[in-house]
Amino acid sequence: MAAVNEERMQATEQLQRDLAVTTETIEHPNGLCMVTASAKGEFKALHLHPALLQQGARAVGEVVTETVRLATNAAVQTSFNKMALALGDGMAIDVESIVGDSPFRTTWNPVVPGKSAAPEATPERRPRTPFVDDPDEDAFFENPFGRR
Amino acid sequence: MDDDVERAARKVRDVEQAVSQHVARSGPITGLASSPDGAVTVVATPGGPPQQIAVSAAALRMGPQGLAAEIMRIAEKAQRNASSRLHQTLERVVDPRELTELGFAREQDEDFGWQR
Repeated sequence: MAAVNEERMQATEQLQRDLAVTTETIEHPNGLCMVTASAKGEFKALHLHPALLQQGARAVGEVVTETVRLATNAAVQTSFNKMALALGDGMAIDVESIVGDSPFRTTWNPVVPGKSAAPEATPERRPRTPFVDDPDEDAFFENPFGRR
Repeated sequence: MDDDVERAARKVRDVEQAVSQHVARSGPITGLASSPDGAVTVVATPGGPPQQIAVSAAALRMGPQGLAAEIMRIAEKAQRNASSRLHQTLERVVDPRELTELGFAREQDEDFGWQR
């Protein structure tokens, strides 16, 4: 029994060391920014594509903020996975009941399309299709909003 | 084992409730840091990714590598600041040594801005 407890303690300590150095690298869906972050949201590396800077200061801020959030979520998920491997699914579920759901469970699709930093272009104006008067149309069913 | 988990969960809930009540009074805790010339400003949360990163138009002249390095430097400063603010806010309801062990150390030198 003592040997089992000792083994478990060592496994837990090793897990703590592993979790402390867990990082994940994520590239933004637009391919212009890549972030390596820890599960605590710390930047470990940041690469900006020159083309991102050409999109303006606001776009840079938004894209980096979004990418570091995705990288942090990925690192948290990796930590959950490592914990489940080391301690078993049962313990991982117990931990989730205490600290809350893992990112995978809470966000099935973590990439949220952000608002465009540049204003959207006005849609092209097209002439309306001329209304063809139908002499057979029943006045009772006439719907001027339905005509195209 | 189940009893241990249940006890731990109960303790976490109790601390969570005390912390929630405390934070409800003090407001959300964030840390703010800026470059001296205002090129990069970061609003950080304790133990999470930066909430907001703002870059000035002039900062774009730093180039991709220079700007990336500056964002990382300011983000780290903002997060340290947020952690320090969390420590100060919660040290009345949570053992300060435990807060430090969790990575929320209290900064001695607070020459940067902060906000709650």
